[in-house]
Amino acid sequence: MKIKLTVNGKKYQRDASETKNLLHFLREDLGLTGTKEGCGAGECGACTVIMNGKTVNSCLILAVEADGCEIQTIEGEAKDGKLTVLQQAFHKNHAVQCGFCTPGMIMSARVLLEATSKPTVEQIKEAIEGNFCRCTGYQQIIEAVQDASGQLKKKEGLKRA
Amino acid sequence: MLQEFSYLAPKSINELYAMLKKHVGKARILAGGTDILVELHNNWIAPAILVDIKKIKDLQGIIYSEADGLSIGASTVCIDLINDKNVQRHFPLLADAAHRIGSLQLRNRATIGGNLCTASPCADMGCSLLALDASVELGSSDGVRVIPLKDYFTGPKKTQIMPHEVLQRIIVPAEMAGAKFGMRKLKRIKGHDIALVSVAMARTSKVMRVGIGSCAPTPVVTGDLSSKATVAAVISAVEKVVSPIDDVRASRDYRLFMTREFVEKIYPELF
Repeated sequence: MKIKLTVNGKKYQRDASETKNLLHFLREDLGLTGTKEGCGAGECGACTVIMNGKTVNSCLILAVEADGCEIQTIEGEAKDGKLTVLQQAFHKNHAVQCGFCTPGMIMSARVLLEATSKPTVEQIKEAIEGNFCRCTGYQQIIEAVQDASGQLKKKEGLKRA
Repeated sequence: MLQEFSYLAPKSINELYAMLKKHVGKARILAGGTDILVELHNNWIAPAILVDIKKIKDLQGIIYSEADGLSIGASTVCIDLINDKNVQRHFPLLADAAHRIGSLQLRNRATIGGNLCTASPCADMGCSLLALDASVELGSSDGVRVIPLKDYFTGPKKTQIMPHEVLQRIIVPAEMAGAKFGMRKLKRIKGHDIALVSVAMARTSKVMRVGIGSCAPTPVVTGDLSSKATVAAVISAVEKVVSPIDDVRASRDYRLFMTREFVEKIYPELF
């Protein structure tokens, strides 16, 4: 089935298989392999992308359902090799260990920060409750989101000009 | 790639009725997909056709009126129910229950109708809608019928929906608007998990009801209790409708204990 969608601001038109999920469509048909497949069943959140402004598990959506939608993935973050503040905060605060959950985690944090400029720890926890991380124990991720929203003390947080 | 199936996306309710009649027994309805894509991924189901109902206007939207109560389109997603002003003002129990479903990613996608059609014994919307005495509107080319939710669930993942029917809307009666309420859901972790026990209670000046999940083959509800019923009378009514089992997640005794515990905790919140 012919579908049109916008991914990270770029328009695509493709003939998508009806039996392919959005995750595999992004990875295989568009070559955007930043989004990861963990469980394939909506439990782990590794495949989280932003669809029309909301985080979704791309493994639980058919590519054909995304017809006409606007999608953001991890590839939409860094521009010209320069990391976004959110990505820098993940780096600085050791919020990345094996890195498999990071693309999805960044997507969830991105939507949170767009709606809430200074999220509380509870709000951060709720925003990432659908994203499993088996390395960090979450604390560093929470600190990274606090840092990205300017809530860590200067000497601990990102050094900004 | 998932297994082979064809994908149809009707734009009107009549088109949907015709498709369901033509492909009866072969078609499965796709709403949010948060259950059905998992079933397809694991090859638990093998529908020849998936019928996506998200483009049909008649199945969308949340309508409230003082006279008729609340009407929730079956393809309303959890997050829209949670954020709806009328739901927050008049039926906050529903926003509370929907907020307990899955993770944010799932609440952004999962539909209220889908939760009732999957009809898991632990359905989070089941016990809350039962406590509010909701009904469901089932439609087909034969017409529309409305049945009380307490008669709708017939077994684990089984309902009264016929193969050619679609769950169109969920109706919550006006007399339950503004009901005092409380809910508890027992989970292993605070985030994304299914209920070991869930209890939802609603009380108006005339009536009190308790909906219970994960404690019987379907979500269950007590009869209409007096709004002045004592906590002991409420617990006794609850014990008559639950029949929990031992399984991998919890024992029968633990479920019974926590059900009573939750009723005792919620009860004072209703006065």
